[in-house]
Amino acid sequence: MQILRKSNWEGFKKITKMKRKEIINKVKESGLKGRSGSNFLTGLKWELIGKGTRYLICNADEGEPGTFKDKFILENNPQLMIEGIAIASYAMDIHSAFIYLRGEYSYLKPKLEKIIKQSEIYLKKIKLNIEIVPGAGSYLCGEETAILESIEGNRPIVRRKPPYPSESGLNSNPTCINNVETLANIPLIFLGEWDNNLQLFSLSGDLKKPGIYEIELGTKLEHIISCGKPKKELKAVYFGGSGGCLPYEKFKNLRVDEKTISGKGAVLGARSLIAVGKDRNIVDISKTISEFFVHESCGYCTPCREGNFRVLELLDKIKDRKARIIDVKLLEKLAYHISDTSYCALGVSSTTHLKCALKYFKDEFRV
Amino acid sequence: MKIKIDGRRFSAKEGETILNVAKRNKIYIPTLCYHPDLKPQGRCRVCLVEVDGKLVTSCNTKVMDNMEIFTNTKRVKEARKLNIELIYNNHSGEKELEFSVVAKELGIKKSRFEKPKKEIKSPMERDNMKCLLCGRCVQVCGAIQSINNIEFTDRGISTRISTPYDISIKDSACTFCGQCALYCPGNAIRERAYNEKVVRSLMEEMNKIINKKKFIIAQTAPAVRASLGEMFGMKPGTLVTGKMVTALRKLGFDKVFDTDFGADLTIMEEANEFVGRMKEKKNLPLITSCCPAWIKFAEQTFPFLLKNISTCKSPHQMLGAIAKTYYAQKLKLKPKDLMIVSIMPCIAKKFEAQRPEMKISGCNDVDVVLTTREIGRIIKKEKINFTDLRDGEFDDPLGISSGGGAIFGVTGGVMEAALRVAYEILTGKRLKEIDFNQVRGFEGIREADIKIDNKIIKVGVVHGLGNIRKFIESDRWKKYHFIEMMACPGGCIGGGGQPRPTTNEIRKKRMEALYRQDKKMKIRMSNKNPAIKKLYLEFLGEPLGEMSKKLLHTKYKKRKVKYT
Repeated sequence: MQILRKSNWEGFKKITKMKRKEIINKVKESGLKGRSGSNFLTGLKWELIGKGTRYLICNADEGEPGTFKDKFILENNPQLMIEGIAIASYAMDIHSAFIYLRGEYSYLKPKLEKIIKQSEIYLKKIKLNIEIVPGAGSYLCGEETAILESIEGNRPIVRRKPPYPSESGLNSNPTCINNVETLANIPLIFLGEWDNNLQLFSLSGDLKKPGIYEIELGTKLEHIISCGKPKKELKAVYFGGSGGCLPYEKFKNLRVDEKTISGKGAVLGARSLIAVGKDRNIVDISKTISEFFVHESCGYCTPCREGNFRVLELLDKIKDRKARIIDVKLLEKLAYHISDTSYCALGVSSTTHLKCALKYFKDEFRV
Repeated sequence: MKIKIDGRRFSAKEGETILNVAKRNKIYIPTLCYHPDLKPQGRCRVCLVEVDGKLVTSCNTKVMDNMEIFTNTKRVKEARKLNIELIYNNHSGEKELEFSVVAKELGIKKSRFEKPKKEIKSPMERDNMKCLLCGRCVQVCGAIQSINNIEFTDRGISTRISTPYDISIKDSACTFCGQCALYCPGNAIRERAYNEKVVRSLMEEMNKIINKKKFIIAQTAPAVRASLGEMFGMKPGTLVTGKMVTALRKLGFDKVFDTDFGADLTIMEEANEFVGRMKEKKNLPLITSCCPAWIKFAEQTFPFLLKNISTCKSPHQMLGAIAKTYYAQKLKLKPKDLMIVSIMPCIAKKFEAQRPEMKISGCNDVDVVLTTREIGRIIKKEKINFTDLRDGEFDDPLGISSGGGAIFGVTGGVMEAALRVAYEILTGKRLKEIDFNQVRGFEGIREADIKIDNKIIKVGVVHGLGNIRKFIESDRWKKYHFIEMMACPGGCIGGGGQPRPTTNEIRKKRMEALYRQDKKMKIRMSNKNPAIKKLYLEFLGEPLGEMSKKLLHTKYKKRKVKYT
């Protein structure tokens, strides 16, 4: 696997001989995009950072259902990520970086601290201090502006953009927020022989071999799923909790990248695929995902807080065969309403799973 | 910049929100969590409009050049309605609430979501089942009042508003200023101490003809007459003094007195206290004491200021004490035979009336405190047609007042009334220019140099607890001789017990009304009030005399609360 390559600070040694602008241009030319699912050009993000005291935040608060690729890197090659942080900090003239580490991953904190200590010679060279901040525990804490609030000690509420974090982020200073996988790829760009299309996929669900696989973007859905060795015939593939689902048989020849998936109404996101067997009921799955969002909604805005609660109520009714046709209609209306009027992107995406389910598996929502 | 709303062209300034432009041009957009005094949050998602095929909240979306906005497409209308429907079950059904008005305007009479939300318990004196989670109270408590005593806690459908670590509100840093209640669109936070039961037993007692045990006296604060009319659809700034007195008589109060009289009495004591401290140059600046929320704030947060605060009780406590002694003697009654009901624009007054220091011969100075909202509701419940009432007059002798007492209800009023009297005491001359325009206004912190007898007196006027905190923490307070502090923005006219809605615009209108009243009055100085003169002659002796000290003055103590 490309991501497991040991760099031993070779990439870093190369960039310290380069000018800042050169580094940023090289990252830009590499075509590396944010691996959290945002797909924003990383080099451009670096270029857009404002003036003054700047901060870098490594977003290690991976909370999407079915996603565990960052954990894989943190466990197996964290040194690469630390090196990426150092390169990014040097390129943007940053002297204070934070690793916002998911609460459930706190067992990794001693390990990361050890690596930071071992890397002191390199970090001292560029006067960089790396601090590990434990995540505050909610799903929302993975959103970049909620992380800012969380580090500042506030309730994690998504900030309204603009201003973007690149102009006014942590403590109102310009801040760059990058994902673990994005940063881990940075040193590789400078080592050469690096393929931007090789990305991490989290495979789980009705599979014999769930796990992390490095697969080329654009591979057929069937080939990706076959890596995990399905236990049984598959009905659907879910793209995490918020990415929605697609029927497997119908789309198994689809070449998977963000454009093809969104063309069908789902969202590829952080490349988490959950395989669902034919024997499973879509309403049950919708209910499970819906429970997740009822639990994780921050409660800020009406549609996400109240709406998801009512979605769950209606799904319960449908499952218990107590629903009427108007209930299903109301469910559909709510699904679109919540994504239409919610305050933040997480609220907006909280019903994608339902919209897809109603599009492709309507007959399972029987009354 | 030019924008288009519903196909019509409008000009707009950079940085303006869509809602601002629409409001200015009288285009209707419903709002709920939005309040003109607060920062827009975009929580309730009711003020939606369509821009570029997307639904956005108009309260916090800024206009851009050539923006095309649609306020009444089918999609917009349906989305607004559904968001109201989602919180409709939290609503209490009271017609006058802001939430009810918005729901009615959108034509929503019931929600398709029947089952009520699961119950949420909280130690706060509030009804979580009626809470719309609009966040206005949180913002007002934090950003405006700087107390930060309530915040959102928990998440998702269990989200609620509570104190730090859910401690009981009585142990918390709450000053009972009541601004949270004033801004609440759904009556989820409200005055707590006097519930329906107390009011009902009070009404019963008043309606008894035989076997009546108590002689019941009402007194009304200066600010109530400038706002009570709003409860009955009258325009903000309408003075309803006469109608209010008549309504209270109809309710069965035996006498209706005016807290303005108490205010005049406060001024007599406080102006003399000020002159005394000026002469001795001790414990300056003198800081006013008539605001009970400010007093609690000082006791818990700035105890080092307590020696500077005037020892005068607040006007309604003074009037209560005088009624239960001087007036009771006239009626040949004992203090406990009298029941004093204060009608106040304030929630903190309920707390003040229960303070153990506020007693004379074992009786509370004041027995019950009702807010403007509460008395308005009682008048409605008793089916009194308020707007058609004839004007009544306050009863003698504790109903006679001066213009100085009248302006107590606005920020700067106490200062002005005190200066009027202090001038005459200090110079021994008659005051010609009665208006002290230097201390009037709406700015959070105001200051003026007043020249009396070749001496410069530095005065400061501060309103809103947030401004007070800033003022004290910056150490600016040290350079003054006399400071007026009011916890609520605008003073009592913007008090926590006033009718909803209250905005800064409405506050200013109520303010003008009180200044109008002052201007019209024949006696404008507290020391010229004949009833006050008579009271000192017959009963009290002189200001700060032995009797005054016993009845009209109090003391303060350092107060420990959790998590200030």
